[in-house]
Amino acid sequence: MTVETVAPRPRSVRNLRLHGLLYLLPALLLVLGIVYAGIGYTGWTSFYQWDGLSPTKKFVGWGNYQRMLDDKVLWRALRHVGIFAVLTIFLQMAIGLGMAMLLRRGLVAGAAVYKAIMFIPVVMAPAVVATVFRDIMNPDGWMQSRMAENGLGALVHPWLADPKTALYGIVAINIWQWTGFSFVLYQAALAQVDEGLFEAASIDGASALQQLWYVLLPQLRTAHLTLIMTGCIGSLKTFDIVLLTTGGGPGRASEFLTTYIYKQAVVQFRAGYSAALSVLMLVVAVTITVIQMRLARLGED
Amino acid sequence: MNRRPRRRARVLAQVVATLVAAVYLFPLVSAVLVSGEGGEGYAKNYWVVLTESPLLRFARNSLVIVIGTVSITYVATMLAAYAFAKVRPVGNKTLYYMVLAALTLPAISLIVPLFAMVQRFNLFNNYFAVILPLAATSVPFTVLLTRNFMEGVPNELLEAAEIEGASSFRALLHIVLPLAKPISAVVIVWTLLGSWNEFFLPLLFFQDPSMQVVTQVPTYFTGVYSQDTPKVFAALILISMPVVITYLSMQRYFERGLTAGALK
Repeated sequence: MTVETVAPRPRSVRNLRLHGLLYLLPALLLVLGIVYAGIGYTGWTSFYQWDGLSPTKKFVGWGNYQRMLDDKVLWRALRHVGIFAVLTIFLQMAIGLGMAMLLRRGLVAGAAVYKAIMFIPVVMAPAVVATVFRDIMNPDGWMQSRMAENGLGALVHPWLADPKTALYGIVAINIWQWTGFSFVLYQAALAQVDEGLFEAASIDGASALQQLWYVLLPQLRTAHLTLIMTGCIGSLKTFDIVLLTTGGGPGRASEFLTTYIYKQAVVQFRAGYSAALSVLMLVVAVTITVIQMRLARLGED
Repeated sequence: MNRRPRRRARVLAQVVATLVAAVYLFPLVSAVLVSGEGGEGYAKNYWVVLTESPLLRFARNSLVIVIGTVSITYVATMLAAYAFAKVRPVGNKTLYYMVLAALTLPAISLIVPLFAMVQRFNLFNNYFAVILPLAATSVPFTVLLTRNFMEGVPNELLEAAEIEGASSFRALLHIVLPLAKPISAVVIVWTLLGSWNEFFLPLLFFQDPSMQVVTQVPTYFTGVYSQDTPKVFAALILISMPVVITYLSMQRYFERGLTAGALK
C-alpha cells in the first residue's frame, strides 16, 4: 500500500501551491479530457436512441436500460464472461504458482529459459496469438492435419467452430497467453516469503501439503488478490482474441460483453444501446475494484 | 522444505517443469514451422512478405503510434508524478485519486464518445485518433508507478537545489529525472508494448488501407493471402520480433513494472 509521507514538502516548492498545478496539466487534460469526458458522454448517450451518425437523437429515458433486462444475448454474454473469468483466473493461478514453486531455489536447471518461455506469450499481441491458435484449433490447420495423418484423428476437432467448445477454446488461448503473468508475480512474492516459518512448521510436524496450505498460501495473499482482481478486470476487457477467433460465435456461443458492445455500436448502429451497455461495464469494473480495495484493507487489519 | 531437496525430487521437478514449458512453447514452435511451409522454404516466404507485402508500411505506422504514445505518456507521467510526489499543489490528493480511478477502465467502454469525437473533428486515419486515447488510458498506471518511486527521492536533495537557486522545474530535470531512470525505463517499456500491440483503436479509426498497423496483419493478410497461411505466419513472426527481442533484452524492466504495479 502507498505510504503517505508526513515530511513537509521541500522548501523549493513550497510556494508552488497554485502554479504547481501546471505540472498536472498534461496528465489531467488526457485523463479528464478523454476518459472522464468520455464517460460523461457515454452516460448521456445511454438515454437516447441514436444510430451514432445522424444529427438527431431521440430521448428514451431509461429505455435502453429496461431493454437490457430482456436482452437474452446480454445475459448470455455476461454468463460467458463469468465462466471465462472463473476458469482462466483459477487455472492461470494454479499453473503459475506451480511453475514458480518448481523453479524456485535452484531445484531445476535452466530456470531462466523456462521463465522466458512462460513470459513471451504475455508480450505478444493478442491479434497474433489469436491467429496462431485459429490455425491450431482448426481441423484443416497445420497441427490437426498432421494429427489426422498419424492416427490421432480422434482428437481432431473444430474447437472454435463448435458452439459447445468455442468458449473453452478461447479460455485455453487466454490461459496460454497469461500464465506467465501469474508466474512472474508469484515468483516475486515467493522471494519475499519468510523461510523460517517453514522450519517452524516442519519442526511442529506439518507435512509438505500442510505447509503449502497453511503456511505458504496465506503468505501469498497479496499476489492472490492482485491476480483475482486483474483477472476479473482482464476478463471484462477481453476483446481482441474473441473478435479474431470466433467473433463471438458461432451464433452467440462465445459472445463477450466487449464484442457485444462493439457490434451494437459499429455493426448494428445502436450507439444509444451500446452506450448503456458500456455504462453497465463501467459499473461492474468499479464494483470489482471497490470490493478488491475493501478486501485488501481487511487483510491489513 | 528446509532440507536440501533430494535427487529424486530434483529429477521429478525438472521433468514436470519441462513438460509444462513444452506445452507453452509448442504454439510458438508451430507458428515458426508453419511460416516455413509451402514448398518455398523460410527464406523465400519471409523475403516475399518483406518486399512484396505492405508489412513494412504497417510497421512504420505502428512505429509512429508507439513513438507518439510513448513520448506523450512519458512527459505527462513525469510531470504529474513529480507534482503528486513532491510539489503537491492545491487539491493534489483529490486529483491523484481521480487519475487512479481511471486505472481499471476498459477502453472499449469509450467506444461511443471516441467514435463521436473522431467523427466530429474528422480524425479518421489521423494518428492522434489512436495516440491520444492510448496515452490517456496508459497514464493512470504509469503515474501510479512513477509517483510511488519519486516519493522515495529525499527532500534534502531538492532543498539543496533550492539553496543554489534552482527552480522546481530545474530540480525535476537535473535531480529527480536522473534518479528516476529505472522507473522511466519501466514506463517506456510497458507503454511501448501496449501501443505496438494495440488492436482496437486502429481497427476503429484507421480505415484507409495505407494506414493499417501491425495488429491488422492477420485480418488484412488473410484477405490478400487467403490460400497462403505460411506467408501470414511469416508476417506474424516478423511483427512479434520487436516485442520479443525487447522483452528478452529488458526482462528486468518488464518484471519490475509488473510486480511494482501489482505487489505494492
